[in-house]
Amino acid sequence: MKAGVIVYPGSNCDRDAFYALKLSGFKPYFVSTKDNLDDFELVILPGGFSYGDYLRPGAVSARESSNVKKFAENGGLVLGICNGFQILVEMGLLPGGLLQNKNGKFICETVELEVVNNETPFTLMYKKGEVIKLPIAHGFGRYVIDKQPNVVFKYKEDVNGSDQNIAGIINGNILGMMPHPERAVEKIMGSDDGIKLFKSLYEYIRGGKK
Amino acid sequence: MQKFKFVIDIQYKSNVRDPRGETIARVLREEGNIPIESIRIGKSIHGEVQAESKEQAEKLVIKACEELLVNPVTEEFKVEIK
Repeated sequence: MKAGVIVYPGSNCDRDAFYALKLSGFKPYFVSTKDNLDDFELVILPGGFSYGDYLRPGAVSARESSNVKKFAENGGLVLGICNGFQILVEMGLLPGGLLQNKNGKFICETVELEVVNNETPFTLMYKKGEVIKLPIAHGFGRYVIDKQPNVVFKYKEDVNGSDQNIAGIINGNILGMMPHPERAVEKIMGSDDGIKLFKSLYEYIRGGKK
Repeated sequence: MQKFKFVIDIQYKSNVRDPRGETIARVLREEGNIPIESIRIGKSIHGEVQAESKEQAEKLVIKACEELLVNPVTEEFKVEIK
């Protein structure tokens, strides 16, 4: 089961995503935005500071990602984590915008999230309402809405000023989230609550539900 | 074709909070004793564009704003052609 991790100039969570995919049974590959993605079951846009986040986080990368857009529009599963979420929003594949945290600071800590929606390919191994712990590490994680999105994860507390404490949203086959499930896939990392997200995807695709 | 200078002023929409502006306004009030009511921090982009006329130059710069330079969900902009 092939999964691609897009490496943008400035991505820095690509290896973590690769490791999490491998641990969940996928055969992961590092790919660039120029590569053909037709063979993949899943594509991940990892965290980092693609193109230095010049102009706005994710803005430049979003204009470089026509293959990702094509893959997503053909129904391929796409997961954007942190900077990947910002890229998906800039691409217009997910609604809303991501702005500087309300305290003006970069926040790096482990936070509690509620799984609001477990009826997605990304969350089917979680229980609805389950509280999980995942790390966040972002300066521009304040999610603002222009229309009501389909919410998947919410922060249990207001950590960055996001509207409705939203931490992750879905649009059909495309999920974007600020917290880092790939940095919480083994107990030794402080939490392994993130592994179920990757295993959910594996089971979903294996079940032929794609 | 002529060369036109342009300036784009980009600001967060008025309903979007600007923590940088709020912090700097507070510091000026509390530490600097300057009665600044509020500050909004945006950005300006200066450049040059080749166009047949001032009107066409403006259209091209607005297109650049819509395609990349401005996020319409959170920002608004004004274009000045010189």
